Amino acid sequence: MQIIRREGTLITYALGSCIGISLYDPQIKLAALIHIMLPEAAGQAGNVFKFADTGIQETLRKMAVFGGVKSRYICKIAGGAKMFENLSRSSLGNIGERNVHSVEAAMQAEKIRIVRKDVGANYARTMLLDAADGKVRIRTAGRPEIIL
Amino acid sequence: MKITRYEDMDDMAKDMMREIGSIGTGNAATALSSLLGTEVKMTVPNVEILGYNEAVDYLGHAEDMVSGVLVEMAGDLSGMMLFVMKLDFVNEVLGRVGMEPIKNIMWVQEMESSAVTEVGNIIISNYILSLSKLADMKISLSVPSFTVNMLGGILTVPMAEFGYESDKLMMITGKCIIGGKRVESNLLMLPDISSLNYLMDRLVTSNG
Repeated sequence: MQIIRREGTLITYALGSCIGISLYDPQIKLAALIHIMLPEAAGQAGNVFKFADTGIQETLRKMAVFGGVKSRYICKIAGGAKMFENLSRSSLGNIGERNVHSVEAAMQAEKIRIVRKDVGANYARTMLLDAADGKVRIRTAGRPEIIL
Repeated sequence: MKITRYEDMDDMAKDMMREIGSIGTGNAATALSSLLGTEVKMTVPNVEILGYNEAVDYLGHAEDMVSGVLVEMAGDLSGMMLFVMKLDFVNEVLGRVGMEPIKNIMWVQEMESSAVTEVGNIIISNYILSLSKLADMKISLSVPSFTVNMLGGILTVPMAEFGYESDKLMMITGKCIIGGKRVESNLLMLPDISSLNYLMDRLVTSNG
């Protein structure tokens, strides 16, 4: 998880089944980018940012410390791809989809609307967040860059 | 010794895994050389215990486009095997089976992907076959699954799979040398922690 203010770009590379979550407070130009890997912490200690539920909670807490106001946050997400087809273990096959659902549920519980998303499909994405204007760019191989 | 995290592995445990890896890659290389009709060697494997970012750096750059063949293991040993190939490896294989080389790994079509998947499958299944003989274990393998994707994205698959038990991956890696030419590929064996313990117990007791 990374937080910056006013200027600079946050980047998270090659999101596969993981989700990149961009949270931006336009009023004070506060930008946070989270990279979660699994849907729920399920009582696990360790790195909270690995899981959607605990990662989002902790990020919101940190943003509040920097003066962020939740009602102003603009949330955009990307990732949740299915990297391999036909995997026999279902836990692996739809991990990306489960991550997306978990992030959506966590945001809904926090009353933060996800304004744009680029999720699913079968390719990895690199996500960039510009702190100056909250613009999110998605870079993929062999496809034009997307602006969220 | 019972291991609860990959980081707990001592030098002896790592040596044991390296030895297993070297027997596996030796067999895999022999099988591949009869398929391609040329000499194939594999380097002495390394055993690495790395976090996600370190693992990506170890194998290249997160945004590098690579192809990967993934096979899941179940039975006495569970986890996954991942064979990661860069463009030069793919072209070397295509050339050896009489196909035109491709300029960009994104341009892999159906014929190319079946050839490359088969190569990955042969390497992985021979590796596991020799391991299961050595340790007298029954290991079943899934149908191979193929992808062309960013390296970082491919590695999130094992990271997510083992994410609830570890922040790190244990990888046994080996590189291929085809016809004297070193081409970029890595074979990764990724057992889960309970399988790792079982495997080591098995080898210690069966070898006295």
